[in-house]
Amino acid sequence: MAETTTITALPTPQQGSHILIEDDASPLVRLIGRTLGDSARSGHAADGLARTAGVVAVRSHDTPQAATIAFGAGAVEVSSGVLVAPDATVVVDLHARFAPVGEPSGDAALAAGVLRALQPPLPHWREAAARFWQLTRGIRGVPEVLLVDTEGPDGPEHGRFGEGATEYLVAGPADLLAGVFSGADDFLTALASGLRVRGTLSQMSVMTAASWKVRFDV
Amino acid sequence: MSDRSQLTDSASPTPARAVRLEATNHEGSLLGKNVSLAKFAAGKDTGFAFADILFAIDLNNEIVLGDAFPEWRGNIYDIQMIPDMSTLVEWKPGLDSVIGDYWLKDGTPVPICPRNLVRRLVDRLAALGYGATAAVEIEATLFEESVQEARRVGYRDLTPLGGSTGATYHLARSKDWVDYMEAVVDRLDRVGITWEAWTDEAAPGQTELNLAPTDPVALCDGWARTRQIMREVAFERGHTVSFMAKPTAGFGQGAHINLSLHSDGVNRFFAEDGPSELMRHAVGGLLATMAGATSVVMPQITSYRRLVDLTGPPTTVSWGVNNKTAAVRAITGHPKYSRLEYRLPGADANPYLTLAVVLAGVLAGIERRIEPPEQVTDMAWCLPDDSGVSRIPDTMSKAGAALEADPLLREYLGDEFVDFWVASRRWEWMEFHTKGGDPFAELSEWESTRYFEFP
Repeated sequence: MAETTTITALPTPQQGSHILIEDDASPLVRLIGRTLGDSARSGHAADGLARTAGVVAVRSHDTPQAATIAFGAGAVEVSSGVLVAPDATVVVDLHARFAPVGEPSGDAALAAGVLRALQPPLPHWREAAARFWQLTRGIRGVPEVLLVDTEGPDGPEHGRFGEGATEYLVAGPADLLAGVFSGADDFLTALASGLRVRGTLSQMSVMTAASWKVRFDV
Repeated sequence: MSDRSQLTDSASPTPARAVRLEATNHEGSLLGKNVSLAKFAAGKDTGFAFADILFAIDLNNEIVLGDAFPEWRGNIYDIQMIPDMSTLVEWKPGLDSVIGDYWLKDGTPVPICPRNLVRRLVDRLAALGYGATAAVEIEATLFEESVQEARRVGYRDLTPLGGSTGATYHLARSKDWVDYMEAVVDRLDRVGITWEAWTDEAAPGQTELNLAPTDPVALCDGWARTRQIMREVAFERGHTVSFMAKPTAGFGQGAHINLSLHSDGVNRFFAEDGPSELMRHAVGGLLATMAGATSVVMPQITSYRRLVDLTGPPTTVSWGVNNKTAAVRAITGHPKYSRLEYRLPGADANPYLTLAVVLAGVLAGIERRIEPPEQVTDMAWCLPDDSGVSRIPDTMSKAGAALEADPLLREYLGDEFVDFWVASRRWEWMEFHTKGGDPFAELSEWESTRYFEFP
């Protein structure tokens, strides 16, 4: 499968560093680009993203997925595979929010900066759910109302987003909800980790598309 | 082929004890079940229930998610498979087989049923006054090992049947390879599938088997059944066969479609001085829809590994008279044999969906009188970027995007099919990248495991 090297800017405006991903990007490139964009928007790990030189390889600990993050003047470019000798390599668990698996190799400071940038703080579940709904409500077949149930520090908490007759309930621990709604966690994987849903199989199919939109921007 | 009366009046010395119901889902292998004669008699007119999930299972048996289901799909509803009794044959002593279509309970066809799609487009062509005649060149690779052994080694490093030297047209293939092919055509003869030729092809172990021209639905039925027969014969002889677009990191394999249109017994693609106007418009439609059609006729991740200049498959959206380096070859000048050869599909394509997109392109070209771009008279591979000839989409994601945006294919195949197909390919792309596939390998283990046996 030929991979292109055309670089495309992420659609979201960036502050400071400009995050660019290649054309026809793989899910990992999209995930990294979206995550670095979240960090850049929130000012998280600004020092790491402000670098103007350095190449970091990001490798999955359990699949062949790999990507290269290249820092340049005013831009951070993310591309598929590792086709040049990197200055640092990080091996991460893609189902654990880029948690490092083992010690990075190469330039330790560069690697540490990238790992920080790949782990922006999660928003509160309610904020994440509201943004999720805003981003995905236009997808064909998405239920009109997203209901969210969780257990807060002071008891049950509920959220309702949208208006209409068709409802979809997502319930689970607050941290997991924040992860799924922000794209840090994979929706289908989360179903095996305590996430619960109520709706039709068709709605779950569409919610999968919605979760990919938020996690990978596809 | 038989009619329904033959089920009970079979001339076979071994009367059928069961009937195998057959149809493809979107992936292209025959799916179905074996039913007793009593069960068959009870359901042959009203249909047999199948779970709609058969259109949402990938080749790893995972439920495909990522799109809005149409109303006929819910929490796994039943749809009806109604046999087409004209396809009833004795498959082997004691077993008859019949191909069917999927229908909803209200009597309308399942909109994404591949066979129904072809039938609908054939009817649309007939409304214009034309009948289509189509043929296919089936490529496959044979291996010495049994399928059990192939599974044990992950379908890697297998031994090509008939020797390891690449050859084309050689008649000196060893007896094991020849015996296999002779057994295959013997089975084809017995079930009534008309073949024209078989030969060895470019890669070690590879064969090309040509089915005779016939109407599109019958061709698809014969194509799907031929793949099944080639598998069964391989299993019986302790060998393995694969229709992967690239079963090894070497040569790929395709499935060229030859098509002509006729009316009143006359080939309407023929003209004394080159392509007829009808043929030109058909070419125009095929090229206008080629980028989107790529998603359908190159359905799997491995399909795109074939697209290498100078190795056989087309790499550009191009056509030319008698130009086998182009995606569409026009064969002209003969009142009987004038035809178009559509060279894009991989050996892994769904027969019905392949014919559906070809017919859709032809129909679009004829109904809109689409003039094709200038034909390529040079070699259509390795063309410069400024040649004015675009490249065929070279990844599943690019092809899916082209299909999603194609208004012509949306009109002729239907929005429901296009949305379903695009979502299913997005799922496939996601599974490949996130569950073990390697885009930078020549052929990853994930692909061998997923695609070697099916479709």
